[in-house]
Amino acid sequence: MAAADSPSTALRRRDLCSRGIRLAGKMRADVVDLLDIYVEQQGLDASASVAAVEGVPLAAVERWDEQTGTQRLLENLAAYRAFRALLAQMLEEQREQLGEADAGLGRALAAVLLQVSAFAYHLEELLRLESRGIPGEEGDGPPPPPRLSLFEQKLRGLGVLRELAQWAVRSARDLRQLAKPSPATGTAPGLAESP
Amino acid sequence: DSNVQYERVGADVTMKCGSMDWDAAVTWTVNGTDIDESHLNGSYLILKNVELSQSGQYSCYEGSSWHLKYQTYLRVGTPPKEPVLMCRSNNYPKGFYCSWHLPTPTYIPNTFNISVIHGTKDMVCEKDAVPKNRCHIRYLQLFSTVKYKVTLTVTNPLGKNFTTLTFDEFAIVKPDPPESVVAKPVPNNPRRLEVSWQNPSSWPDPESFPLKFFLRYRPLILDQWQHVELSDGTSHTITDAYAGKEYIIQVAAKDNDIGTWSDWSVAVHATPWTEEPKHLTTEAQITETTSASTSSFMAPPTTKICDKGAVVGSGAVAVCWTAGLVMAAYSVLFI
Repeated sequence: MAAADSPSTALRRRDLCSRGIRLAGKMRADVVDLLDIYVEQQGLDASASVAAVEGVPLAAVERWDEQTGTQRLLENLAAYRAFRALLAQMLEEQREQLGEADAGLGRALAAVLLQVSAFAYHLEELLRLESRGIPGEEGDGPPPPPRLSLFEQKLRGLGVLRELAQWAVRSARDLRQLAKPSPATGTAPGLAESP
Repeated sequence: DSNVQYERVGADVTMKCGSMDWDAAVTWTVNGTDIDESHLNGSYLILKNVELSQSGQYSCYEGSSWHLKYQTYLRVGTPPKEPVLMCRSNNYPKGFYCSWHLPTPTYIPNTFNISVIHGTKDMVCEKDAVPKNRCHIRYLQLFSTVKYKVTLTVTNPLGKNFTTLTFDEFAIVKPDPPESVVAKPVPNNPRRLEVSWQNPSSWPDPESFPLKFFLRYRPLILDQWQHVELSDGTSHTITDAYAGKEYIIQVAAKDNDIGTWSDWSVAVHATPWTEEPKHLTTEAQITETTSASTSSFMAPPTTKICDKGAVVGSGAVAVCWTAGLVMAAYSVLFI
């Protein structure tokens, strides 16, 4: 049975959603710029196909329009937590490879990592608002992946950034869905408990 | 017996009269008209370097009995050139459509076959009844980085050709132009025009997938467009229009986040509000001449001095001295 939102909850949700949409928009723009820098600095072909990399959350989803609000928030949160770890790893690898020689790329990576962390936190806020338990992060995260060659690392990085760019678009759409008021009860669609 | 024979333009065609011997006496006709014997080699009909105009029904009759011994319908044409294929999503996120055509006609029937692959998955592109060379596909997945590969093969009796398009989900998103564009003058505002429009009706969910807009406008007499990008809303007030000048205005749309701009909407025309011409109370009464603009009218003489803020229509000699000297400057511009 759905509990009607208090007006302040509805307002807070709308506010969080609008800010989240703006965050996602900025994040996407920065990731797209970062992709250009990354491709150039790593000597990659921008149109290279990258096979799905293990551990990189795919933005692709079937029946997106049928998802509930809770599903959207949980999937987004899981994704951005994973990206947080992946980007941190990329930053580490990049420092190992190039030291301080490529501060520009390092700075750009760090800036995106910061936005990803901020967005993850933002999603946690939205989940708290729905009185949803926030899933704990799995211990220290997944076991460290096998050591990749330099070239494999670069391709993986490309895959990570491309998928993150997709997620940023998806997240903005997800938050817009969340922000839509439900006509009858005033709750956001999909956030009600299923009977 | 009757059949169809396809031949390329420029080919040399030899037709045998069924099972008749080479030296049999025969008569050939095309579409009922006798063919001159000079085209015959024995009983064979020889057509050298065939042209399109030579398409038709060819019949061969035995000389004396006038029995029909052979008949064929000759169709002269060409094998297909590489087809032109285009795919676009104007109804994101529902799906996309692909349409195609041949750059040059073949003059004979062609069959088109389209295949759509997304990663390893084959998708079915459902053919539209109208227009004919078009099919549509529903997205099964959204936000995928995996590219779509569309291959169109065209086949006819003389040959085959194909083309392939590879694209990702976001790249082909291009809405239809905005609809119902309306531009109106604003009363008592000689430099304003109010423009409003609607989302294209083909865009299924503007609330979740909002569009942003690009407005362009210029006076008819100038070539340079002014541009305004609008991130939300379906209206805009132009505040720097030249007084009394007819404007042409267009709007384009784009998804807020992905894809490309639509084509420009149908153009609308509007002229900003102008005050009715008045007679001034000066010693030499200066009569307003009708302006060159489309909105000309003769007002009855009054004794009023020009109202504050009013700019007289183009072609007028009088200048209104008001609190804003800038008004005078604009008037001078239009002399």
